[in-house]
Amino acid sequence: MIEDAVRLIPADDSSWRIEAYLRRGGYEAARKAVTFMAPQDVIAEVRRAGLRGRGGAGFPAGLKWSFVPQGGTAPKYLCVNADEGEPGTFKDRAILVRNPHALIEGLIIAAFGVGIHQAFIYVRGEYASIAGRLEEALAEARAKGFLGRGIFGSAFGLEVVVHFGAGAYICGEETALLESVEGRRGQPRLKPPFPAIVGLFRSPTVINNVETLANVPLIIGRGADWFAARGIPKDGGTRIFGVSGAVRRPGLYELPVGTPLRTIIEEHAGGPPDGVAIKAVVPGGLSAPVLKPAELDVPMDFDSLARAGSMLGSAGIIVIGDRTPILDVLEVTARFYAHESCGQCTPCRLGTSWIHKIVSRIAEGKGRPADLELILDLAVGMKGRTLCPMGDAAAMPVHAIVSKFREELERTVIP
Amino acid sequence: MSYALSAATLAKIEGMIAPYPERSAALLPVLGAIQEESGCVSPEAEAWVAAKLGIRPIQVREVLSYYTMFRRKPAGKTTIEVCRNLSCTLTGAEDIIGFLREKLRVGPDGTTADGRISLVTVECLGNCDHAPCLQIDGTDYGRVTKDMAAALVRELEAHD
Amino acid sequence: MSDVKMRGLTIDGRTVRAAEGTSVLKAAELAGIAIPHFCYHPAFEAEGNCRMCLVEIEGLPKLDLACSTIVREGMIVRTSTPSVLRARRDVLEFLLAEHPLDCPICDKAGECKLQEYYDRHGLFPGRFVEAKEKRDKKVAIGKGLVLDRERCILCTRCVRFLRKVTGTGELGVFERGVRAEIGIYDGVPVDNNYSGNLVDICPVGAITDTDFRFKTRAWFLRKGPTVCSHCSRGCAVIVESVTGYPLGEGQRKVFRIKAGENASVNGTWMCDLGRAGRRDIDERRLVRVMSNAAPEEELSWQKALADVTAMIRAVPGPERSAKIAVVLNSRLTCEELALAKKVFTDGLSLGKIFFADPKPGAADGLLLTEERMPNARGVLQSGFAQLLPDLDTLMAAEVLLVFGSHLLEHFSEEAVFRALAGIRSKFLFSAHASPLDRSAKIVFPVAVPAEKSGTYINIDGLRQSFGRAVEPPLGVTSELEILGCLASGLGLNRGEPDAC
Repeated sequence: MIEDAVRLIPADDSSWRIEAYLRRGGYEAARKAVTFMAPQDVIAEVRRAGLRGRGGAGFPAGLKWSFVPQGGTAPKYLCVNADEGEPGTFKDRAILVRNPHALIEGLIIAAFGVGIHQAFIYVRGEYASIAGRLEEALAEARAKGFLGRGIFGSAFGLEVVVHFGAGAYICGEETALLESVEGRRGQPRLKPPFPAIVGLFRSPTVINNVETLANVPLIIGRGADWFAARGIPKDGGTRIFGVSGAVRRPGLYELPVGTPLRTIIEEHAGGPPDGVAIKAVVPGGLSAPVLKPAELDVPMDFDSLARAGSMLGSAGIIVIGDRTPILDVLEVTARFYAHESCGQCTPCRLGTSWIHKIVSRIAEGKGRPADLELILDLAVGMKGRTLCPMGDAAAMPVHAIVSKFREELERTVIP
Repeated sequence: MSYALSAATLAKIEGMIAPYPERSAALLPVLGAIQEESGCVSPEAEAWVAAKLGIRPIQVREVLSYYTMFRRKPAGKTTIEVCRNLSCTLTGAEDIIGFLREKLRVGPDGTTADGRISLVTVECLGNCDHAPCLQIDGTDYGRVTKDMAAALVRELEAHD
Repeated sequence: MSDVKMRGLTIDGRTVRAAEGTSVLKAAELAGIAIPHFCYHPAFEAEGNCRMCLVEIEGLPKLDLACSTIVREGMIVRTSTPSVLRARRDVLEFLLAEHPLDCPICDKAGECKLQEYYDRHGLFPGRFVEAKEKRDKKVAIGKGLVLDRERCILCTRCVRFLRKVTGTGELGVFERGVRAEIGIYDGVPVDNNYSGNLVDICPVGAITDTDFRFKTRAWFLRKGPTVCSHCSRGCAVIVESVTGYPLGEGQRKVFRIKAGENASVNGTWMCDLGRAGRRDIDERRLVRVMSNAAPEEELSWQKALADVTAMIRAVPGPERSAKIAVVLNSRLTCEELALAKKVFTDGLSLGKIFFADPKPGAADGLLLTEERMPNARGVLQSGFAQLLPDLDTLMAAEVLLVFGSHLLEHFSEEAVFRALAGIRSKFLFSAHASPLDRSAKIVFPVAVPAEKSGTYINIDGLRQSFGRAVEPPLGVTSELEILGCLASGLGLNRGEPDAC
């Protein structure tokens, strides 16, 4: 189990305030970075720690920071991705509510390392009612001199703005997030150029997930080696795994990277309820292709899941019991991506809608045998062809459900 | 312009615009503030926001129509949003939705005849370990049972 | 130019050299390889939403967009591998899934990119059996333009054009996903002088012009490139007309004018004023020589011109400069102006040579100039002064030759008729019917610029030669021929054959 002192999500709900955070060593890492370290050394330490992005893409955080051109007086920006729209994911919410200072300290260190003086925390609109703590925590940090000008008495200054989204899953994609912060339709941008060069307001920008940044104080405070050792090579630290669906103890489980999926579901989350067997598991948020019971021994790390034909993504584990028709899962999936498609590019705009129409027709009892092959083909037609990764996110889960549960689905279509 | 917001909202809006390097970037927060006061963003509000931020009204509408949380027309006084995504569907969301639809007797647009309550289905609210979940005017309710749903409706209907 | 770095790459096995910063799509085009695309337009930055231009680039795991990938030294590109062909086919299938089967009634048929690419890269049986999205098919978006939302493929060229070229931004994209649609804001329709380009750049029949809607078929149109004559910008344009079938025999109609391409003048655009000039070519045309003395008589212009020559000859040499006046216009080509110089200045030593042109208007900051005639610089280069006549000077003449009918823009009809009343021999050379017709002794129908070949010098001093874009009506001749014949008749073409 993770020691209390270094848990990203404290066990109880009363230790989110700055006094409690300071008592457990909070803001010491930020002080160390800002007053004793060179910005490049901060980046190097985070790189050595092997911290990979915890939003879904898993891109090494330190490497991303190093892409931003050093020096100069032109503005650079940090965007915190608190959009958390990936179904089955609720870990960033817990950090915002139970440990907002870990995020704040993390973003101070990140901003210092890259040379950023304004950060935007992009909070999904649906979290507006729980964002009060974040806003209070920011006020607390500012009152202590940890935000604003002359942080820890240095020349470094940082302002933080909380910017709420308004209901668009695609705004979790980093360039769509930038568009949304700039007051436009949250539609992804063509890359290149990459945000590290041309990002927010055309300036170099770093975008990091909440959990990613919340890990940074631990890296600077306890060292890259310590952090790396808690995970596996090139993938350091712990992950906060969310478990929901057909399990006895849905919730968040902070565990080492590489913990087997079956262990998380059965040992930590209590396994499925009485009389229910596991039919399938979504391992990393809805965009991660589904796994069958025989595949559940997979270690929960990026590479192992990629080899298994799925992905770690946002580590949102959804357990599907055998009482649930797989058609329901397919329907929810197809409907979700059709609803969330931004509509910019041909394969996603029309592919998600077409697949949704076919699945709806099957659900109404008017499916044909050819429909299943057609869905697979359309998914293949979307994969790798779209402007942003949502095309794959929409195509791959649908493809996995239909190909892995072909027999069951064939029983739902009229022969 | 004859369109008017309360002094409090106007002050809030000024505060929202200030930190952005470009005024037009404050569009989403400003629309949120207007909707909070007025319940929706009307064409008059669109024109007002456009002038305030130095953009065209069409740009305001492009944004308004893109994000699901913005409303261009007034909805019920209270909005109940029930999640229909995977974890919630696995734990009985469809039953809750069916139950609420019947109980509230909402029309095809999801609003009760007296215009007090709107019922809409939404995608993942990020509260999956408390599935099935819903939000009432943005406040989360989790592990919703039919009894809980009935109690919530009773409370809402009692309150005016 | 010598500072531009070149890059060598291979496209479909062919070695191609392109300037640094060129896109793969553009480099391929230069090498004669057409990569299909909808949303890309050379005047804009790459947009990347249609996904039609995906190609294989060696070393990269996925297909990449040709429009946004910049060439690199040693890059190897393949545009026709099975995976590229499959990607194209899939884009077409996705687009056609929600596209209405409107071809039989759609104006764009025959010049539609979706049709063209389906023919070349598709030809698959349709697999979409669901109900298509129902959308508005006749949204009036301003300036006679109609938007059909079912046909729209959301390439957003129209939206981008209005944001980046005219800066007016009247179109936007509303909603999202498959519900996304293009439209205007209530009460703010498209209202600028470049709206016609929206029809040109729409790759399908989503934006059409009521001026052209349902009137003909693209494959009947004969395309005649020329230079626009409605201001002094000299935009390259294409006059599209039908002569004969499917119209009646001998019938001619100009259906539309489209922008031609000229990097030094208008890029790929033209203004609505120039487009509206198509009416100029067909409407109110004079088609027969008319002698007011014998209005029913069928005259050939050569015979009628003999009268003119005779009247001129009848004025004794030394008196010509006082008694003969000529009003020219700045729509005459350089060649015509040179001949006019030869006849009137050098040959007849006339002093009373004037110009009557359309009045200037407001420049629009893009292409349209204040001057509303195409060849003012040609006039100056020919040695003429662009002087408007004063009516008293004209009144004193005995022989008057008027080319064009723009005198009436500068003076009232009453004043002009009063001035002309006392002139014995008045001859009008005009393309369009006007009140001036009845004041002339003989009216000669002449060609409009689209029916001529010649040279104009534009506002920047650029000489542009153009050929005949459309045949003049039977019986109509050009000022070039008339002046040539006059020169012959006046004995100014010594040694040359008779030009009449």
